[in-house]
Amino acid sequence: MAKFVVTTNAVTLNGTDISGNCARAELVINAAEVDTTDFGSAGWTEVIGGLKSGTVSLDFHSDFGSGAVSELFQDLVGTIGTVTLIAGNGTAASATTPQYTAEVLINSFTPVAGAVGDLSTFSVSFPTSGAVSYATA
Amino acid sequence: MASITNIRNGIVTNLNTISGLRASAEIPDNPSPPIAIVNLESVDYDNAFNNGLTVYNFQVTLIVGRAAERTMQRKLDAYSDVTGAQSVKVAVESDKTLSGEVYDLRVERSSSIGSITIQDQTYLAAEFTVTVYA
Repeated sequence: MAKFVVTTNAVTLNGTDISGNCARAELVINAAEVDTTDFGSAGWTEVIGGLKSGTVSLDFHSDFGSGAVSELFQDLVGTIGTVTLIAGNGTAASATTPQYTAEVLINSFTPVAGAVGDLSTFSVSFPTSGAVSYATA
Repeated sequence: MASITNIRNGIVTNLNTISGLRASAEIPDNPSPPIAIVNLESVDYDNAFNNGLTVYNFQVTLIVGRAAERTMQRKLDAYSDVTGAQSVKVAVESDKTLSGEVYDLRVERSSSIGSITIQDQTYLAAEFTVTVYA
């Protein structure tokens, strides 16, 4: 695997491929910092990893066509959805194009956005719920 | 997936709804005004994953007629208007999907309004920028 320019990451929501309307995808996985500093820390802070969490951020081009991305999100606010992201310009999970799967809380949707003359777009950022899985096959 | 040739021909079809105006998808050897010539200026690829959105920037060069003729300025005004039967913007945007070939299009601006010289003749002309999302 070499360095690469992002062009074709695959994105699905609840099994629907929404890659063609998606212009940016980001998955961030964090671990909380738990402070374990004590009198034996010699004047330095000490931390260990706490609970893990994640965030999925996606930028979309609006499309209200039947079954298209804007319609897809319309009734999902407040629900848990399944997002899959295949990195490395892949269309299927492999060692060089790993697939991440996350349950996310769809806690917001911006159906109307944009100034005159702009391409109509919207961005979402969802917290993950539970473990983020990683597959290479 | 949209084809550039089909997009260009679609814009020509829309321009041909203007009475008295010829539209051409190719640059003619000897243009006979009034004529609108559709040129592809640039293509912006990869605006979404999986070739989900490509942005095509077309330039429509409108040659109205000889600059010396007094009526030409009024004709150019009508072609440049936002509304009206002669409006290039209205005609090009009359079918914004080009019969389903593209997602959307917009005539963004008219520029370079003035005279151009073709084969020692000075013509009144203007350029229209058309952005196509496909």
